[in-house]
Amino acid sequence: MRALGLLTLLLVPLATLASAHASEQGFVLLLPTDIYIMAGVATVALTVVVLALLPAKAGHAVFRSLSVAPVPSLGLRHVTSLLSTLLLGALVWRGFTGPGDPLSNPMPLFVWTVWWVGLVSLQGLVGNHWRWTNPWTGIAALLAKATGLRAPFRYPRKLGHWPGVVIFLGFAAFLLTDPAPADPARLAAFAGFYWYTALLGVVLFGPAWLVRGEALTLLMRAYGRMGLLGRARGRVSFGLWGWQVLARPAPALGLAVLMVVLLGTGSFDGLNETFWWLGLLGINPLEFPGRSVVVTQNLIGLVLSNLALLLAFALCLWLGERLAGMRRPLREVFCLYAPSILPIALGYHIAHYLTSFMVDGQYVIKIVNDPLGHGTALLGLEDFYVTTGFFNTPGTVKAIWLSQAGAVVIGHVVAILLAHALAMRSGVDTRRALLGQAPLAAFMVAYTFFGLWLLASPRGL
Amino acid sequence: MTKLINGTTRRGALKTLAGAAAGATALPLWARYAQASSSEPIKIGFQQHSTGIGAAYGRWYGRTTDAAVKLINEGGGINGRMIELIAEDDGTDPKRGAEVVEKFATQHNCDVGFGTLFSHVVIGSSPRAGELKLPYFVVSEGHHVASGMLNRYTLQPGITDVKSQVQAMAPYVSENLGKKVTMIFPDFAFGHDHRDFFSAAIEAQGGEVLEKIAIPPTETSFTKYFPQIPRETEVLYHVMVGPAVLTFVKELGEFFGPSSPAIFGFIDSLEAVDIASPGLEFLEGTYFWEGNPRYAQADQTEHDKFFRAAVGVDDNGASVSDPTDVSTYAHMFGCWETLHIIKAGMEASGYQGTGDRAKLIEAVEAMTDMPESQAHPQGAKVFNGKTHQVFGHQYISRVEEGKLVRVHTTSIEDTLYPDEVDYTTQPL
Repeated sequence: MRALGLLTLLLVPLATLASAHASEQGFVLLLPTDIYIMAGVATVALTVVVLALLPAKAGHAVFRSLSVAPVPSLGLRHVTSLLSTLLLGALVWRGFTGPGDPLSNPMPLFVWTVWWVGLVSLQGLVGNHWRWTNPWTGIAALLAKATGLRAPFRYPRKLGHWPGVVIFLGFAAFLLTDPAPADPARLAAFAGFYWYTALLGVVLFGPAWLVRGEALTLLMRAYGRMGLLGRARGRVSFGLWGWQVLARPAPALGLAVLMVVLLGTGSFDGLNETFWWLGLLGINPLEFPGRSVVVTQNLIGLVLSNLALLLAFALCLWLGERLAGMRRPLREVFCLYAPSILPIALGYHIAHYLTSFMVDGQYVIKIVNDPLGHGTALLGLEDFYVTTGFFNTPGTVKAIWLSQAGAVVIGHVVAILLAHALAMRSGVDTRRALLGQAPLAAFMVAYTFFGLWLLASPRGL
Repeated sequence: MTKLINGTTRRGALKTLAGAAAGATALPLWARYAQASSSEPIKIGFQQHSTGIGAAYGRWYGRTTDAAVKLINEGGGINGRMIELIAEDDGTDPKRGAEVVEKFATQHNCDVGFGTLFSHVVIGSSPRAGELKLPYFVVSEGHHVASGMLNRYTLQPGITDVKSQVQAMAPYVSENLGKKVTMIFPDFAFGHDHRDFFSAAIEAQGGEVLEKIAIPPTETSFTKYFPQIPRETEVLYHVMVGPAVLTFVKELGEFFGPSSPAIFGFIDSLEAVDIASPGLEFLEGTYFWEGNPRYAQADQTEHDKFFRAAVGVDDNGASVSDPTDVSTYAHMFGCWETLHIIKAGMEASGYQGTGDRAKLIEAVEAMTDMPESQAHPQGAKVFNGKTHQVFGHQYISRVEEGKLVRVHTTSIEDTLYPDEVDYTTQPL
């Protein structure tokens, strides 16, 4: 496991808000996770082998999309976006005035459980809802209409998506290293400030700011490419996760880097809770001294993890080009293949947060039932007790763990398929495509092992 | 920032009306409600482990606290004033703990702080409570209060400390299980406390500790340590904690098979874990310290019955809404009892507001006997005003058919040790 630990550091790792549930982890440690991990890794490896044997077109065929309906022309997206803004405003107000306990205040519950876990996953699994649910486009349209003014500045094209990458890292740093990211008032201040500055960006630079510099929209649009539902040829279409990636041009470099950073950040989110990482910091995982003492260490870990993943990914691509005897610029292949990382990042996001979502989701139900804490029962739940009983029986723990592992494995299988289809799309012959992909495929098989190891490892937070 | 658990909810009012209709004796209660709703509430700052390593405990501490506050408010509050619970999350982080205490004192203007469980958070927060002269009622089991390392404003009147718990086990162990003991404990402060306190106590009973096996905290496999257990061991004392504890029990069972020495442990290892879980069969016939018996016993008191119903816990110590959701029953009564002591202290001192905080400390320090009652469902206790620590009965249970059955109740005398501090000499 030591070698693996080193490998993980070389590859890459966010701190979850939910706690360690000793009983859940206790049962996970009793599961034959070694066998499950091997089975998961074998599944991903087998996908590679099957792709090598199948005819060239097969890889592409799995991503074929089906047209299901005309694009509805409801024109309501500004209205729903305004509703989203109102909701955010209400949440910020409750963040400042509501209960100080993050499990009783709607602000952290909505941001970290409903949005960060639920809506981000939904975006990747189903498709782009952010077009309707983001809190900026509606108000921006309203402001433009009311004042009749246009944005005074042109967005500097040479900045590309880099402002968004930097802001995303800032978001990740808040989530992973801030001592109290779930403190309602603190979170309300951060969220309110960020909403305002992003709106200022839109006022100054126009909508370009949202798709270049606003990190959350970039994140959502990146995951939106993964969804089952999307638009093609003017119609709503349906296809396997990733089909929209193939239907679009390769992303620009900044956006490509963000896609890799999503996985790097997600992986550190898992790694920083493990006994292994705490051991590295010289911290006894059984008496974790709190997030306030690991701020610097986790900041360094976050940066190193992302750098290591970027480097490893680039190295695999560079090596692949050499093996295949192709000398395309690294930048070009990096942008071509970066979207193949998205399903891995999404699979890990879902797996990592599944357990906290199962607990914190109940607090969300509780708060919807009684939003202001006045004893109302809007959902008819009189005495609603949050339970974590599913962490206490071997059967449910096994089902949860296998669901998490399934998300990781499916993510990697889709990634392998997607990388292959992207290679074929770039117009090289099958033999070269396979050779060129070999290092990346090996990397993805190894990352499956790492992702599953993270799920099986004892955690101290 | 408040969570008002108000006695004057519709249901509460209906109940009161029903009570009023039942007879003239209920009338003063009604009168208290009327007065209470017009008075300023008593603000109790609840330092809760909502997130971080203590969250699983925090959830049950929260549920017990809510139940106790509801009960006290329905009974007319404190001096006729309702309790307003102000919960703040400390992230189970000592630095944030100190910030939360400061918030209670300066921002929320709380009358008292209450409810901290994890020792390192208590140790990190207590100095700030002392500086701000905020009465700080902890529910942590740690020996840090009675050891003298804290201050006059920090009290632990609702739960006993680990030193008294451990030493009170020695007489039963040596008389019934054996005198030759091997200890297995995690190699950090928690384990060291057990090692030191129990070694001394068993020797005082004429027994001996043959071997002390310290396990590194990050260990997840234990079989390699078991050969260190001497053959002549009569009792194996274990206090493993953390995610690997189930593995520990399973491997211990595999190592010994049916012929093991007597095995004694602290329920802390398996708090909130179902004893009847598959893989834990080996625990059958072994003994555990319990702070409060998780399973309703044959001679269950009416107070334990009342406490379970109020918190929403069934006869197996699990949530009434989910039988697999096992509570932290051995510890959480401490929140309930502490809140009743705050009430008793405020009433005894005629507490009016934050200017009377010192009077409240003195009133609690003057407390001694606390008889078993609805306010003290775990059992009778004796408070030591000098050391700010309460002492009470401890329970030893045996696993029988997957349930913990109490086999021994210690006397309070078994739990006493000489004073290590006199906080009353410190200025208020």
